[in-house]
Amino acid sequence: MKTAYFAFALGFLLCFCEAAHSVDLVINLDVSQQRLSRHTVRSIFSMRTTQWPDGKPIHVFVMGDKSDLHKEFSKQLLGLFPHQLRRAWNRQIYSGMGQAPIRVDSENEMREQIANTPGAIGYLSEAFTNEHVRRISIE
Amino acid sequence: MNKWLTLSLLGHAWLSVEAVTAAELDMFEGMFQVHGFLTQAYIKTTDNHFFGDSEDGSLDFRELGINASYRFSPRVMASAQLLSRRAGEMYDGSPDLDFAQLEYTAHTDEDDRIGLIIGRSKNSFGFYNDTRDVAATRPGIFMPQAIYWDRVRNMVLSSDGGQLHAERQHDSHLFELRLIGGKTPIDENVENSYLNPAFNPKMEQDGITLGGRLLYEWDGGRFRLALSGAFLTLDAETSLLPDGEIDIDYRVLSAQYNNGPWSLTLEYMDQPIDYKGFSGQLDVADTTVDGYYLQGNYRLHEDWELFTRYEESHYDKNDKNGSESSAKLGPPAHTFFSELWTLGVLWEPTEQLMFRAEFSNIDGTIFLSNLENNPGDTRRDWNLFSLLVSYSF
Repeated sequence: MKTAYFAFALGFLLCFCEAAHSVDLVINLDVSQQRLSRHTVRSIFSMRTTQWPDGKPIHVFVMGDKSDLHKEFSKQLLGLFPHQLRRAWNRQIYSGMGQAPIRVDSENEMREQIANTPGAIGYLSEAFTNEHVRRISIE
Repeated sequence: MNKWLTLSLLGHAWLSVEAVTAAELDMFEGMFQVHGFLTQAYIKTTDNHFFGDSEDGSLDFRELGINASYRFSPRVMASAQLLSRRAGEMYDGSPDLDFAQLEYTAHTDEDDRIGLIIGRSKNSFGFYNDTRDVAATRPGIFMPQAIYWDRVRNMVLSSDGGQLHAERQHDSHLFELRLIGGKTPIDENVENSYLNPAFNPKMEQDGITLGGRLLYEWDGGRFRLALSGAFLTLDAETSLLPDGEIDIDYRVLSAQYNNGPWSLTLEYMDQPIDYKGFSGQLDVADTTVDGYYLQGNYRLHEDWELFTRYEESHYDKNDKNGSESSAKLGPPAHTFFSELWTLGVLWEPTEQLMFRAEFSNIDGTIFLSNLENNPGDTRRDWNLFSLLVSYSF
């Protein structure tokens, strides 16, 4: 019985830790940037900045507004609510000044797309990053 | 010319899609995109007509749009949008070319960007003008009429010509400048708002509209401040008076503060109108129209939002209750101002779907269209209830 309690407590703690896990900004290996400023990250994810400093196109990948990872990413790294980010995309899309980011449905798909698309940027939880993508820090 | 440009753009895009296999489609990597929206509203008023025969409940407010864009490179993008808008007696829903433009970024680095836009492009004016027909970006079911009048919507909607676009980021400060030079598509809503419909007015633009917007954003949009202006002259012919000209200056000051779930927006408009010619008979109508609104939003939960808005408009900023204008020009005093309170709720159950419900209590009728109401028959105190559903992709 004690073990069961312990397992439950441990599971609970793990869940809690999982939920509080930080989200990492992740890029394709061919992008040479070492760090990005917060305003550049905001500009990239609001679809205003469209190229890397070397002129290569940026491909932005996001998950759905309701996904916990996307909510965490928006709030922690951009300082925006998902609905505010979506409104920024809509203002661009419906005035002809920009395009929407590419939507993925899972972290596996996010990792695969970022690994295989030159110029790609997205985000992953710590457990999902591997050697096929690169974490990039925000200064 | 512009219609052909859109058709050929859409046609080219369609052929490209048809010609490639599914595997090759990935080559687009999201560079070719199609988006659109469908919006339907229901409007009920206690008196007066707003977006249709609203006293009996109107469904005559419907917006359909579809657009396509192709990014040739990070610096070059083409885009076009078709819009069908049914708005009571003001718009009949026949499709219009909303924009068809080519954007070229001449210079870009981490902090600066300078670009040119040619074709028919939406005018960045105030915070909302460039996407005013898209429910997903509007601050409510209707645009705040104190700034974005539906009865003269076309006056600053878009322009056929060129725009210059420049941006500078300095730490957390962003400065953005848009300069507009082009022809404005004038329509009968504009004609019948700046001259009495009984005169059977016809207008053409003299020269081009010059205008622009300077926008400052701090900390990714936590605080936003903008100054917009557009200057145009309309050549007018009527069935009763000698020909004349109408000079219109349209200026808007906008400010917004966003803090977590809270948001506060204030916009103020000032619009001097000068009637020239008409053998001096319309000099009496020279005026400075003004208006403002203050809106507070609160995000209750990730899908729900509440807002309240207060708006005020005056035909003559020095005659807030309309009595002098009424004595000079004829129609009742309440047709020269409006004051309204609105309460609204927004529900966004999915990324694509939104529902809104709003209630407004209104004193005055300045923003009602002459095409939908005979000013003399309007009622001063009225209420407006509206519902909206919108799907966008």
